[in-house]
Amino acid sequence: MGPLLYAALLPLNHPGHFLHWHFIEISVANTIVIGLMLLTFVAALVLPFPGRRRRKENQ
Amino acid sequence: MSKKNFRPDVDAPEWRGGHSPYDILKEGTIALVVVSLLTVLLSVVFGSPDDPAITIKSWSNAAPVDFATTALSELNGTSTTASYGAPYNHTPDASQALGPLTLEKWVGVRIPIDAANDFVVNPLRTLPYQTALHQGLANWSSASTSTRTKWVANYTKASAGMKFNGGQVVVNATNAGPVPVMINDLTKMARNGALDQALLTGNSFYSTDYTQSLLFISDGGYLGQLAAKDHLLGEQWGVMNETGSYPGSAWLWLYTFFYQISPYNSSGNGDILVLATMILLTAGLTLMPFLPGLRSIPRKTRVYRLIWREHYRNRE
Repeated sequence: MGPLLYAALLPLNHPGHFLHWHFIEISVANTIVIGLMLLTFVAALVLPFPGRRRRKENQ
Repeated sequence: MSKKNFRPDVDAPEWRGGHSPYDILKEGTIALVVVSLLTVLLSVVFGSPDDPAITIKSWSNAAPVDFATTALSELNGTSTTASYGAPYNHTPDASQALGPLTLEKWVGVRIPIDAANDFVVNPLRTLPYQTALHQGLANWSSASTSTRTKWVANYTKASAGMKFNGGQVVVNATNAGPVPVMINDLTKMARNGALDQALLTGNSFYSTDYTQSLLFISDGGYLGQLAAKDHLLGEQWGVMNETGSYPGSAWLWLYTFFYQISPYNSSGNGDILVLATMILLTAGLTLMPFLPGLRSIPRKTRVYRLIWREHYRNRE
């Protein structure tokens, strides 16, 4: 019972999946992380700065 | 006094607009808390890579013939470590070079390894007395270099048919002197874990220097097979990957990219070529503000107008 208490909910210790395109080979996990980073970057560009409305009201 | 022309990538005009307060400490604290919470949450959900460490014991039990063949390659000097050159030994022409740039030679032999003695003969000497082995090691020590070479060559010739039966390494070799006993006893020593201990170096009570064990293991084929399964080999963009289904060091993509293309992947000087290319590219990135053309990219792509769109909207 003890070790179960410390086990991860969705452990990823199983063989990974990989994407191949010509000589390019990348794991699905890395692709997801890169996708999330790009998404964060775009969100940082597009989303308005927090506190913008408050600043506007003060002006 | 003539007025200097305004250079858009180098000169900053004096700011005459308004100012907004910005609390960088508050933002840093929020970022730290969010990242810490995410780290704990993701580790609870997904855990972390947990592959058991590969030891000489686990290797020699899983693949005894591969182990014995590797031990033989240490003895006959054909293993990667035995013929690596600096920093391990003085193998001529083994160091990579890019013109006059010979980094390994410049650093020199800093971790001297005599593969035959360090990986085979000396560990066997640490074993408790056994008649055949003791006699074999005495013969090995008293034999001339040419006799040893002949013994090892005869054993190497017969080793193509090497088998592992009943806990013994079986090779039908003739005139191989003590080599069969040495390889067989080293394999037994490896399988019971004693070789892992014998190869630990360092003077402290708790030694953490696994250099010799790791070099020995990497000389064999077993580690490569396991690495290939997890897509960790160099030709598999391995440095970017992690065991299991975990994401790896994706930021090393450019470094490992060069190892996949010619001439880097076919050159004997591949490592130093990649290193030199990365130094050049990093220098280009660092010196970007001073490089005409490159330094204009932010101004010409106008991404800054997207970030500060509110400001530019009010200005227009």
